[in-house]
Amino acid sequence: MNIFWHEWKSGLRSLLIWSGVMALFILISVTKMAGYVNNPEMTAVLKSLPQAVAAAFGLGAFDLTTLDGFFGVMFVYFALMGAIAAATWGSGVLSREESGKTADFLLTLPVSRSRVLTAKALAALVNCLLFTLVTGVVSVLAVQSYQPDASFYRLLLLEMEAMFLIELIFLAIGLMLASLLRPAWRAVSVTIGLILASYFAFAVSNISKDFDFLKYFTPFKYFDAAVFMQAGRLDGVYVLVSLLIILASIAVVYGAYPRRDIYI
Amino acid sequence: MRIIEVEHLTKYYGKARGIEDVSFQVEEGEIFGFIGPNGAGKTTTIRLLLALIYPTRGRARIFGKDVFRYGPEIRQDIGYLPGEVFYYERMKVIDLLKYAASFYPRDCTRRMHELAEYMELDLNRRVDELSYGNRKKVGIVQGLMHNPRLVFLDEPTIGLDPLMQRRFFDLIREENARGLTVFFSSHILSEVQRLCHRVAIIREGRIVEIADMETLIRNNYKKVRVVARDLDPAYFDLPGVTHLEHTNHTVHFFYRGDINVVLRRLSALNLTDVTIEEPTLEEIFMHYYQRDES
Repeated sequence: MNIFWHEWKSGLRSLLIWSGVMALFILISVTKMAGYVNNPEMTAVLKSLPQAVAAAFGLGAFDLTTLDGFFGVMFVYFALMGAIAAATWGSGVLSREESGKTADFLLTLPVSRSRVLTAKALAALVNCLLFTLVTGVVSVLAVQSYQPDASFYRLLLLEMEAMFLIELIFLAIGLMLASLLRPAWRAVSVTIGLILASYFAFAVSNISKDFDFLKYFTPFKYFDAAVFMQAGRLDGVYVLVSLLIILASIAVVYGAYPRRDIYI
Repeated sequence: MRIIEVEHLTKYYGKARGIEDVSFQVEEGEIFGFIGPNGAGKTTTIRLLLALIYPTRGRARIFGKDVFRYGPEIRQDIGYLPGEVFYYERMKVIDLLKYAASFYPRDCTRRMHELAEYMELDLNRRVDELSYGNRKKVGIVQGLMHNPRLVFLDEPTIGLDPLMQRRFFDLIREENARGLTVFFSSHILSEVQRLCHRVAIIREGRIVEIADMETLIRNNYKKVRVVARDLDPAYFDLPGVTHLEHTNHTVHFFYRGDINVVLRRLSALNLTDVTIEEPTLEEIFMHYYQRDES
């Protein structure tokens, strides 16, 4: 427990900053939403956009003049921010002991590496959970003047579940890369690079059927708001695929980190 | 009882040599010196014994247990003072020490305050405000506050002023008298001579000598420099003299044996100057190096 609390306190500042950015993003978006929702003129403007442009921005499948449609478009930004925050937490909890040269202090205390790992991973996991909660709660508060109905709450809940799963994927990948790469701090940038590549693959797969195969490689496509909004639930196959990616990454971390040579 | 047993321990970093075939034992209650120039493999050996890195080959046991399998258990009774001390920059010293103490089953509070007072360490400062020497003091308190049975000191005096160095040596002697086993790594021969009972000399990753301090000192070479007019170097070609060199009016040589023999020779000369001193560590290593080649 001592490592968990120490880690969680060390990561608190980062959580607060990310939560502040997310809250600001939601509030600004909802302010802009006033120009779209229940505005027939905007419907006409959006219809006139070239289809490829609309698809690349993820607008194609959504009716931006409804609250649900607007939050459907918002999801990919939630997912992107969640992924990047989770990646920095996952890779950061391990790599900062080496980049800050404190690994010698921590790992010469009478504690096993796997216990250190568990405490650190849990601290990052709690951050992901809280970040998702903040996103959901701020969203609910921000849209109150639009009288959200039950279908909106169902959609938001699905979005938060999907966001949390995407966070877990990149948290686990961040941890894994930090336990494998040398120097460990490279894991932060490599994981973020991976997220941007995944997002690009997601955008491209939306534009053209020729790039449909990319959907297997990008977690953003596993949980596409356009799809789960229609279906009313997350795709069970992709939930399973996500869990497999997470478990495999965690297995690699527990195999690699206890055997890792620590240099500072 | 043997506190440390190291057998054929070898570590390569990729193709780069860390240490090669290192074997030695440290007995309970010893102050064991581990001496060698920078880059010889002293820190590599300590990091292996603390299971921070894993060996390419070989075995190591502390308290009779394999260090790579029983690390957490063994480290209950180990203290470690690294050469360069790094802590979480934004923490207060007292919180840092309490955090470290929380990993040990026994209560370290009283000893922590005693040691901090003895080393004149202000516990209420933040780590990032501390000078190099003060960080070292935090390391000393952290390394000893849980009353370990064995402590690893890696270049412990670097950063400490002479007064604190002496205090620290007194502290180590005191703890040793109470049963603490000390593994003392250094590249400074004089401090190892002051403190250690036994010493291992490591050079380029290999142990070249393990000896009692007394034996080493008795066998120790003196470095002699004689300045006089019309010197004949052959005059100093005595048993025990090596590396005899002659330049202008100066003769240099190393001597091992009864120092009176040399002094009697010198007293017969009309000298301009003479120095007789301890060879530097580098010169001792030259000796071991050349003996290896022959």
